Amino acid sequence: MSEGFGLRSLHPSVLLLYYAGGITFGMLLFHPVLLLSGWAACLIVNGHLDGGREWRSWSLPMLGAFVALILVNPLISHRGRTVLYYMGDIPITLESVVYGATMASSLLGLLTLFVSYRILMTEHKFLFLFARFSPKAALLAMMAAGMVPRLRRRLKELMLVQKTRGIAVSEGTVTQRARNGARLVGALLSWSLEDALQTADSMQARGYGTGTRSSYPAFRFGPRDAWTAGGLFAAAGIAFTLWANGHGYLTIYPRLESFSLSKGDVGALAAYLVFLLMPLGWEWRDRTTWRSLNFGK
Amino acid sequence: MAIVELRQVTFRYPDAEEPALSGVTASILEGDFVVLAGPSGSGKSTLLRLLKREVSPGGTLSGTILLERRKIESWPAREAASAVGLVMQHPENQLVVDTVEHELAFGMENFGLERSAMRRRMAEMAGFFGLEPLLARRSDELSGGQKQTVNLASVLMLQPRLLLLDEPLAQLDPLAARELLGMLKRLNDEWGITVVMSEHRIDDLLPIADRVIRLERGSAVFDGTPRAYAAEAWRRQDPAWIESLPAVTRWALEEAGRATSIRTAQEKPAWMGTLSGEARRFMDAERRNDGGPTEEPEEPEEPEEPEEPEEPEEPEEPEEPEEPEEPEEPEEPEEPEPMPSFLPLSVKEARAHPAIRDAAAHAAPAAKPPASEAKPLLQANGLFFAYDKNSPAVLRGLEWTVRQGDRIALFGGNGSGKSTLLQLLAGLREPQRGEVRLEGVKLSRLPTQARFSRIGYLAQNPLLHFVHDTLREDLLHAASRVGSPSPADEVGRMADRLGLSGLLGLHPHDLSGGERQLGALALALLGRPQLLLLDEPTKGVDALAKKRLAGHLEEVHRAGVTLVMATHDVEFASRYANRCSLLFQGEIVADGEPEAFFRGNLFYTTPLHRLLHHAHDPKPAEEGAVQR
Repeated sequence: MSEGFGLRSLHPSVLLLYYAGGITFGMLLFHPVLLLSGWAACLIVNGHLDGGREWRSWSLPMLGAFVALILVNPLISHRGRTVLYYMGDIPITLESVVYGATMASSLLGLLTLFVSYRILMTEHKFLFLFARFSPKAALLAMMAAGMVPRLRRRLKELMLVQKTRGIAVSEGTVTQRARNGARLVGALLSWSLEDALQTADSMQARGYGTGTRSSYPAFRFGPRDAWTAGGLFAAAGIAFTLWANGHGYLTIYPRLESFSLSKGDVGALAAYLVFLLMPLGWEWRDRTTWRSLNFGK
Repeated sequence: MAIVELRQVTFRYPDAEEPALSGVTASILEGDFVVLAGPSGSGKSTLLRLLKREVSPGGTLSGTILLERRKIESWPAREAASAVGLVMQHPENQLVVDTVEHELAFGMENFGLERSAMRRRMAEMAGFFGLEPLLARRSDELSGGQKQTVNLASVLMLQPRLLLLDEPLAQLDPLAARELLGMLKRLNDEWGITVVMSEHRIDDLLPIADRVIRLERGSAVFDGTPRAYAAEAWRRQDPAWIESLPAVTRWALEEAGRATSIRTAQEKPAWMGTLSGEARRFMDAERRNDGGPTEEPEEPEEPEEPEEPEEPEEPEEPEEPEEPEEPEEPEEPEEPEPMPSFLPLSVKEARAHPAIRDAAAHAAPAAKPPASEAKPLLQANGLFFAYDKNSPAVLRGLEWTVRQGDRIALFGGNGSGKSTLLQLLAGLREPQRGEVRLEGVKLSRLPTQARFSRIGYLAQNPLLHFVHDTLREDLLHAASRVGSPSPADEVGRMADRLGLSGLLGLHPHDLSGGERQLGALALALLGRPQLLLLDEPTKGVDALAKKRLAGHLEEVHRAGVTLVMATHDVEFASRYANRCSLLFQGEIVADGEPEAFFRGNLFYTTPLHRLLHHAHDPKPAEEGAVQR
């Protein structure tokens, strides 16, 4: 799906608001039911963006972390009144199990949110946001980001050729390997520095540093963005107010409360889900238009 | 109006003994296409960088540089940066940001332009250069030629009035170079933008340039039209000058010289008369067509001797305030070399003249010794290679035999897999299918060290071979690796042999392109290879250094080393190879002696062969068959 369609058509600042809110509530609300529902909402968003492909490629490490957190927390934290059983003389408490699970679902939700962030917040959009505060920092960030793949490519080339001279990290004694590695990195760096001087010349030649910079990437803040931002603010306001009044929060320590949701919890859950799913409305709308316009073709 | 005026410009780098530029006086007219010629180290880059204040080197400068009649130092920073654009040699190093679109916008951002203004210029420039399909691409995915086009376009975004190019073609293959050159010519013609371009391979440039300025050891030794340059080069008989002429011109000049010697030996042959007379007329017409406005007034030609036809061109530039001093005056020989009256700068011009075709028919190119039927040294059997399983295969069942004593030039388009093939032959990469055998033994069976010393490999970028702080250390390391009893002596001998003795203490990065190439060659030779695989050895190397390299390679070959070089440099290959092969779609599709190879080709061939091909084969049916 291309830029300018559905969710992707939203202004970077709206997206930033969406992710800032999503992350905040993913950490503030601390109730497994709310968090798992939020995770489900994030999954739906991912599914709409790319059919969940990107998420699937991350799912294994994510679920691994989820399980690990559930398992590890009870082992290292022994707070809580309700002891389930003793492992040797280590008490495993119900509270720490539930706490671990809640934390793990919070993490799962956040990571899933980040997957869609990676899809939605392209480099261009990120720069657009960043460049307002500091054009120079934005440029620096981007050049640094571009440097990594370049260095990697060059190191590969260098290692290939140096194999002919026996300078490789895969042969010889450990010290020799270390020395060879240092040589390779040294050569790589002096080569790259040499080139960086030329890059600097090229920047100066094009007037870098002659005055204030402007920024090229352009996004228009349209009515669609205004509506979305308004909706997001409203949902976030409701969710935040409820949270500030003690809803959407499961008291675990010292003694586990009931999981059942109070009215306030349900309200917080609804506001949270609305917040997460609302931008999908544009995705739906654009898809319907697309279908109705191209039906039968 | 002169856009640039240099008055007695002398420049000295901080700790240099000799000045990099001494007393350079020249003026460049608006809309000129000026070529800066000269060997490397002659001050071309220094001169260009002095014209571009932002990247001017530190040092002591005397004399005046006027840009649009104002001293260059007195320009405000922003105006100066936008008035003069600079494109440098390495395409990749000039790219600053990630995508093509953003790269193009980078300069405009620096000038704080409004978004709407930027978009507009972007639309125009992307349209002009045909970059629209590339706008969203990451710039590191582009080919070298595309990168250089992006660099050129992004410089032009600032709408400079003077465009400086510092060897922009050196890192490009000939096809990409020609494309970029066409673009520059178009800019010069259509926009009237002044172009000053330094290049050491100026043979493609002479036909399109308005003026040539030649620097040697910091002084301007020539300033005039390309035709006058050709004539002057011939008059001097200096190999460094003649080497810089287009092959066709060189050939025509040599041909004319031979004809004159025949004339003096016996009676003047009939066709020679027509050559002089007709060529004269042809050239006059030519001058009237493209000589530019400055040459018109004195055009009525006296029937003068063809010996010094180009002299009047010099004083014909009335707008030049000071005549560039021509140090050739004192050394004017009493009896000048026979000056040809006809100076073709391109195949088209040469072919237009019937007498030249005649001469071409007389001059059968010297026959090269046929490729030996010696025993096979390296054999590639059914090589198949892909970089990963989803990308298309680079080599598809390639079969090839390198015989003992071969000197093979391997041609192929960009990305056709020449480099990959060499790396496979060198045992640096493993083929997915097939095998490489060195004297019948599979490469993978050979111990690594023996493999890499028996097969020398020179990468496209010679810098990749150096990892120590000085050339000496690198050579010593290589010598001791192959178990030399006294590495230092061995290194000394090798350095002497390749003329590197004075450079041993330098850091590899401080060497010039040609010297790096020789240094890498020395590294490979220390392993006493039977076979040397060279990847584009002439890339970014000037004409004279190329000749030196060729000399050394020939010597190496005489010592019994088989050579295989992947190259785009058809001229080089035609002179020094005894077998030519063409790689296409992962297979060797043509393989044979150079003469037969070049005669059968229209693209992978030398300009000279393009000319002679027709002269030798006038039967239209046959020509047509080959052309199609």
